Amino acid sequence: MNNDSLKLFFGRWALRILLLIYTMITLYPLIWNIMNSFRTNFEILMDRSALPTHFAWENYQRAWEAANMGAYLGNSVFVVLLSLSILLILVIPCAHALSRFKFFGHRAIEVVFIVCLFITSIYILIPLYVLLHNLNMLDNLWALSLIYAISGVPFSTFLLAGYMRTISNTYVEAARIDGANNLMIMLRIVVPLAKPGIITVCMLNAMGFWNELFLAMVILRNPALHTLPVGVANLFEVQQRMTDWGALYAALIVVLVPTVIIYIIGQKYLIGSFNMGGVKE
Amino acid sequence: MLMRTRKLKTLPYGFICICVLPAVIGVSIFTLYPLAQSLIMSFFNTTNLALGLGDFIGIDNYVRMFTADNHFRTALFNTLRLMAVVPVVTVFLSLVFAFALTQSKLKEKGFYRVVFFFPSILSLVVIAAVWSALLGPTSRDPFNRLIGFFGADSVMWLGDGRFALWAIAIVMIWQAVGYYMVLLMSSVDSINKEIYEAAELDGATGVTKLFRITMPLIKDQIGICYVLAISGTMAISFTLAFIMTSFGPGTSTLVLLGHIFNTGFRAAAFGYAMAIVVFSIVLALTLSVISRKLSYKPGE
Repeated sequence: MNNDSLKLFFGRWALRILLLIYTMITLYPLIWNIMNSFRTNFEILMDRSALPTHFAWENYQRAWEAANMGAYLGNSVFVVLLSLSILLILVIPCAHALSRFKFFGHRAIEVVFIVCLFITSIYILIPLYVLLHNLNMLDNLWALSLIYAISGVPFSTFLLAGYMRTISNTYVEAARIDGANNLMIMLRIVVPLAKPGIITVCMLNAMGFWNELFLAMVILRNPALHTLPVGVANLFEVQQRMTDWGALYAALIVVLVPTVIIYIIGQKYLIGSFNMGGVKE
Repeated sequence: MLMRTRKLKTLPYGFICICVLPAVIGVSIFTLYPLAQSLIMSFFNTTNLALGLGDFIGIDNYVRMFTADNHFRTALFNTLRLMAVVPVVTVFLSLVFAFALTQSKLKEKGFYRVVFFFPSILSLVVIAAVWSALLGPTSRDPFNRLIGFFGADSVMWLGDGRFALWAIAIVMIWQAVGYYMVLLMSSVDSINKEIYEAAELDGATGVTKLFRITMPLIKDQIGICYVLAISGTMAISFTLAFIMTSFGPGTSTLVLLGHIFNTGFRAAAFGYAMAIVVFSIVLALTLSVISRKLSYKPGE
């Protein structure tokens, strides 16, 4: 090896070691959580970070039954699926229209949606609560799903319209010559071609809905309707005094696992969607 | 003019309406209408929602915010302290990682990208609960054990008013670095390789290339990330502090959104809480516009 390639070799390994250290920093909390979800409360009390001696599945059993995580999981799955369905029904046509036609009001819709991007749910929580109360929509998983879907509309519309603009016009024109009407063009041509964009929208929103805490906490007062984040937040509050740490860490894993699975399956769509446009054309 | 009338006629307005109206109406009812209500309520002394808005009191709520509310001042100060530190550190770290990953010819760089992005998909409830334990008060808790390894004394990270806000800042940075790294990677990737090669011939090191080539060329994208990180700081600090410290000890981790939550939902001073909402939105928008102006110079 000459001097230059030696320098390159060491440079590469120095970088690799730095990146591996940050990998450990990123993953350690997760590994720690998984390990402690399999340790008994006594073990956790004695040593906060040790390897499990055996698999204490009882933690999961207590989380599932005593802490009601099974029911919360069901509520969360229901809400996420319903919100996604409503979201797609709202967003696909809207993004299609915005990306294909330069119509009157086009710019107004864009401006309104940009403003909405700055609105965190906590800002509108109190008036929204009053509104839902007046509409008799509190304590209702359908209402929560509708609110979730609408909260996802502005961002998703931008993302999907951006994707739809990249679809070549030739397909659409060809279909039009064949006599397809606007609805058929949208459903038969644009939607299939925009599938990667639609998948990205679904994944980003599914994770957001799955993890959302404050809207669910305020809208769902009936404990039987709680979603997983609300249930876990309450459990965390209670466990500070009761110290059933094992059940808490098991419950956290129950929240984690679905997002991790979606992430691993779809990371290509997820990470690939973040293209802000580069310098070079 | 002729073109425009022709265009207006040929557009299928019926179809467009059916497409956009459901989304627009939904957003109007469940986002814009409550937002307008927030603005209106901020001029009233609303305390009982069942009885309506209460009395119109002009800008009294806003006056009270700056003259008669110590907690508001604390919350604003804490939020500004986080905003001064967290977005800068986060975006800088993510830029360094984005640069290192795209520049390096490491075979496993896709692996790092997937791993570093991972925290941003996690529920903040989970993050808060796990980090509360990692940042536990005794010398046996993981974070204290780590700094003990380097010879430092144990700290009650979340129980000591001097450290609690910065403990939350650490979690916020940990949570967001990978997200902005992925956001920046495509931009770094798109820089023409020949520019780097020319710099290398002139003897530029990695650090020079980062500061002299990468940063100036993608400062627009860095600016966007910075704006996102500012509004992210507002929302995420609230959720983390809510779960990890309940905005304590004392008021040491009380942030703006936390103060809104406390005055609105705990003290039922709805009108006043909405004034803080309006202030927070204006603050976030102003900071965003300022940092966009600073990073984006047209014509360059």
